[in-house]
Amino acid sequence: MVGCDQAEPTSYQIPKETRQNEAPVTPAATAPQPTPTAPSNMQILPGMQEAANQAGEIAYSVPAGWTESPASGIRKANMQVVDENGSAELTVTTFPGDVGGTLANINRWRGQLGLAPTTAAELNSQLESYVISEHGGQYTRIIGNTDSILGAILPMHGSTWFFKLQGTSATVIANEPAMKQFLDSVQLQDDAH
Amino acid sequence: MESLIRFFSSLRLTVVLLSFSMLLIFFGTLDQVQYGIWHTQKLYFESFLAIWAYPAQAPAYDQLYWLRIPMPGGYLLGGLLFLNLIAAHITRFKLAWKKSGIFLVHFGLILLLVSELMTDLLSVESQMPVDEGGRSNYSQSYRSNELVFIDRSHPDHDTIHSIPSQLLQAGKVVKVPDSPLSIRTINYYPNAEIGRDPSGKIDSPATQGAAVKMGIFANPKPVVYAENTINTATAYIQVISPDGPLGTWLVSNVIDDRFPPQFVRTDDQAWEIALRFTRNYYPFEIELIDFKHDKYPGTEIPFNYSSEVMAHHNDPTKNQKALIYMNHPLRYEGLTFYQASFANQDRTSIFQVVRNPGWILPYVSVLLMGLGMCVQFGIHFVKFLSKQRAS
Repeated sequence: MVGCDQAEPTSYQIPKETRQNEAPVTPAATAPQPTPTAPSNMQILPGMQEAANQAGEIAYSVPAGWTESPASGIRKANMQVVDENGSAELTVTTFPGDVGGTLANINRWRGQLGLAPTTAAELNSQLESYVISEHGGQYTRIIGNTDSILGAILPMHGSTWFFKLQGTSATVIANEPAMKQFLDSVQLQDDAH
Repeated sequence: MESLIRFFSSLRLTVVLLSFSMLLIFFGTLDQVQYGIWHTQKLYFESFLAIWAYPAQAPAYDQLYWLRIPMPGGYLLGGLLFLNLIAAHITRFKLAWKKSGIFLVHFGLILLLVSELMTDLLSVESQMPVDEGGRSNYSQSYRSNELVFIDRSHPDHDTIHSIPSQLLQAGKVVKVPDSPLSIRTINYYPNAEIGRDPSGKIDSPATQGAAVKMGIFANPKPVVYAENTINTATAYIQVISPDGPLGTWLVSNVIDDRFPPQFVRTDDQAWEIALRFTRNYYPFEIELIDFKHDKYPGTEIPFNYSSEVMAHHNDPTKNQKALIYMNHPLRYEGLTFYQASFANQDRTSIFQVVRNPGWILPYVSVLLMGLGMCVQFGIHFVKFLSKQRAS
């Protein structure tokens, strides 16, 4: 009985496996190009554009290796990053109100990755608090099957800001330090104090 | 000696031990909030001494942060209760027919304590995700990791050389079984954050593989215990061939099948190297034919999860079809498959795979206790009836 916890190196044979990532990958060739900015499939409802225009200005620094596109439509900022595994896109948007609450927003993102919705009970374990522009927000990491999202949600004076890095899982995961560096650099115009 | 026996056989000891058990369960339940059920079990019930610390989330933590309550752990309480029962039987009870019910109840209780210990020591839990229409012949344990070298050169089978992560201790050299290689662990982090520095300016011990190609490095992080969280085990491993060191690779359980494999090559052979969740391979495959996730009409509230599976064994006479759902696990080849979870928009079903050689003992013990109570009450009832008749 005592012996069963002791770890031993072993070797054994298994039937031939088919590996998902079998063929030698030439990442540069297969990396999907980032989708062009704005006209996304997001529906812009009446009032959204005005609210976005009214929301304060945003200042930030672009992490090394990321390329910036001009803000457009309801997007307050827009960046792309491409590496040998694929690409990812960062978008910053802001909307009035709480946009349905954190659970609904996390589940919207999960839906974009083809994941089943999470529950209120499980939600907290998936969030960490994160300070953005001296206001308390939340940070989440949603790993999907092929694509992933690193997201931050920041409620601020009646509006909610969304920071989302979405793209190929490997690229997104590898760019997490850059994402956090970006979030730390964000300064939002704050007239409320 | 006599006083020792008297102490161990006393009913007072029983009462004290049961009170301590209640305390243990109470504080264990409190700590489940921060540690999750698995780690709490280890801390409180699979230990001799448990120490409860005032939780940081609780009110007035700033004043009470020093508060610690030590209490006997599950093994100590269970062991003493076991001795207590045995000692009481030896000193106090005489084998007589009218006590046979009590004997059965106590024997059932002893068996329950023994089976709990067996479960702690012998049972192995892991998870098996299977896609609809797909098959799997292994399960993974999300709480332990292994360093593997996979030789895929043979046309009929793959050979896996596995080193459990407990043996990955910084500076230690371990021989890779049945191969010319050995490894030296440069660093092992039970949990880490994988970062990326495309400029390659960050100092990393890695000289080979994905770490060099992609500028990946690891930052150690504290281990997490909460449910639904996974520790990113990561290591820098130097691989040594008989001709000398081949280089140092960064391996991590997040660098998995989604990434291109990392290879270790000598002049005449190549191995895939990876750190992954410990796998248990089986001589059969579980095929998921259909997964059902039924909801009450018009709501998102589930009323049924079920998986229709087919077990394909190397020995076709053992093939078996089954429907796995709540409280209806599949028991197959000494393993129990429970419906645990699902993913991937209801296209992947996740089974909890449990190997517990003592799984039948709790059933036997509960039966014995039930039977014992029936016998004991039966004896009293008959006695009562005959007294009535006599008067």
